[in-house]
Amino acid sequence: MLQHGPLLERLLAGDFICQVSDEDAFRHLSQEQTLQDINHYLRPLNRRLVSNDDNSVYFLAYHELNKAAREQLSSQFALTVQSLLPLLEWLQLVQETLGRDSALTAGDTIKLQEFVLRTEDNQSLRQRLNQLASDRFFNSQSDALDNQVKLIFRRLKEHGYLLQPHSDRQYYIVTGKIDYLIDVIRFIRDEEHLPVDDTPTQQAML
Amino acid sequence: MAPLDTGAASNLFSVGAERLALLGKHHKALMQGYLDGFIDEAAFSESALKKLIAARILWRPDEQQPLALRPLVSELIASMVADENRRQINADVAEKLEQIRNRVQAYRDAQYKGDYSVAELQLQRLTEHVHDLSGQFEEAIDSLWHRLNSDFGFVASLDDKIRENERAQKQLRRLLDGLDLLDFNELIELSEGNNQLRKLLVSQLQHQLSSHHSSLLEVQKRLVELLARFRQQQARSMLITNMAAFLRQHPKYQPADYPNRSDVPLLFNQAAAIQPQAAIALDKASERQILAELVRALPRAAVINLPDQQSASFAAVMEDEEIAARQQALKTDVENFYLRVIDKAGPVSALEYLVEQQLSWDSEIWLYQIIAEYQALPQDEKHMFAIKRDEVPASAVNSLLLIRDISLSLQAA
Repeated sequence: MLQHGPLLERLLAGDFICQVSDEDAFRHLSQEQTLQDINHYLRPLNRRLVSNDDNSVYFLAYHELNKAAREQLSSQFALTVQSLLPLLEWLQLVQETLGRDSALTAGDTIKLQEFVLRTEDNQSLRQRLNQLASDRFFNSQSDALDNQVKLIFRRLKEHGYLLQPHSDRQYYIVTGKIDYLIDVIRFIRDEEHLPVDDTPTQQAML
Repeated sequence: MAPLDTGAASNLFSVGAERLALLGKHHKALMQGYLDGFIDEAAFSESALKKLIAARILWRPDEQQPLALRPLVSELIASMVADENRRQINADVAEKLEQIRNRVQAYRDAQYKGDYSVAELQLQRLTEHVHDLSGQFEEAIDSLWHRLNSDFGFVASLDDKIRENERAQKQLRRLLDGLDLLDFNELIELSEGNNQLRKLLVSQLQHQLSSHHSSLLEVQKRLVELLARFRQQQARSMLITNMAAFLRQHPKYQPADYPNRSDVPLLFNQAAAIQPQAAIALDKASERQILAELVRALPRAAVINLPDQQSASFAAVMEDEEIAARQQALKTDVENFYLRVIDKAGPVSALEYLVEQQLSWDSEIWLYQIIAEYQALPQDEKHMFAIKRDEVPASAVNSLLLIRDISLSLQAA
């Protein structure tokens, strides 16, 4: 168990563990025995290890839902719902700005400088970024593009969606938490029967 | 070989060589034609155009159309530069098999007649056909791998990639069907009783084709995986776009209260963070040693003995006076040291003097003050003293020099 100390600390601190954020730990977690050991250890803390549907990201959940846990989950959920639109808009903005043909997935690299350069020269992108930065999820007070972008990326790093391998170099890697976000969206859509399509119609495919 | 054959062959040789040279002679204009899809006739002279058409390099598909490269030439270029947009895959095996059967028959007939030079020639052709057949698969597999490894990067959009992937899978199925046409029992029968044929048609061809077969299956597996990934990406992009649009249209939208359901969905059961804290425990005697070392390793703050402070302003005055007094005492002691140097003929070590006089100064401050005093001397008096620093490098890897001691002596005028 001692060998998993750092991993337990990260999990307890609320980190999401995926292949990008911690490759070794992720490999350990995909072993049944380790999973059991960790759950056994977490039991008295009223925690257990869970993962999303396709096991690409692990995090801690409550074992038993007492009143305090419910309260925590409620406020957590409110935050998640509030962050949905800004996160989706950011995903769209990055995809369009960098001219990518598909949505961001775990492991993709974003160079901050490239993002700034491309936004700078495009009035409509600039405006959308401006609006996004002032959303209360990012809450930027600055008018300068450079500051806005840096703040947005820093906030996403804090929330675990991005990883910055070198703190002095401005490039980021998308983590598996983005898969979690997509799963949340898909779940809400399915549960609430929202008219939100994700399969191309036959027409679009031809 | 019959003399007639030699004549035809030499004629073939000269015509072929001449026409190949044409390709080289007009390489830039032809390549431009490959890229544009038609030939700029102004780039050639009248006679050059005639020659190129006669050589079946260029043709006019239609009266109204401009000249273009013949498909075979385009194909050759596409294969040479691995241009996956234009590269063709030839999956026709039946025709090749038919040729092989005919050649075997011709070879056997010639042998039966005892016409060995003809038999030799037929065997040569047969070898070429067998190599062609294998080469055809090799080319196709190379093209498929190339496309796969570049993630279909030669087309821009995800939709195009999906279409290209589906096209590649169809080609692959045709290739596999082609391989199925090859019946080794038939080939064994064809080569019956002849060692050379057996070697060519059975051991060699079989070996090559079975390796092609496994390559194709591997490519197929990877193509299917890649297509699944493309589709997943496509679904994800659409979900993001449509969900964002929905949320923008319904700014007041609130999903159900999942955290307070009796059965909370796993995705929303995200526990609060716990930050584990730890402090030094002194209850284990065995760890005292380690703890002591840790404490010793802590960077120590310079010890300044100040009297207990009662109030900020009071202390400030005290401090100034205290420091000034100590400064003066230090200066006096250093001056005494200099006097000793003048008294004594030989060099005097600063640290030895410090110990000898039982002075309470920190050795570093002491050395520093001596150097400062030396620097403060007027230029002509400085010459009177020889100052010698006892220095050592900070460590093996750090060439910073640390002063260990200073010795001062009176300089002979």
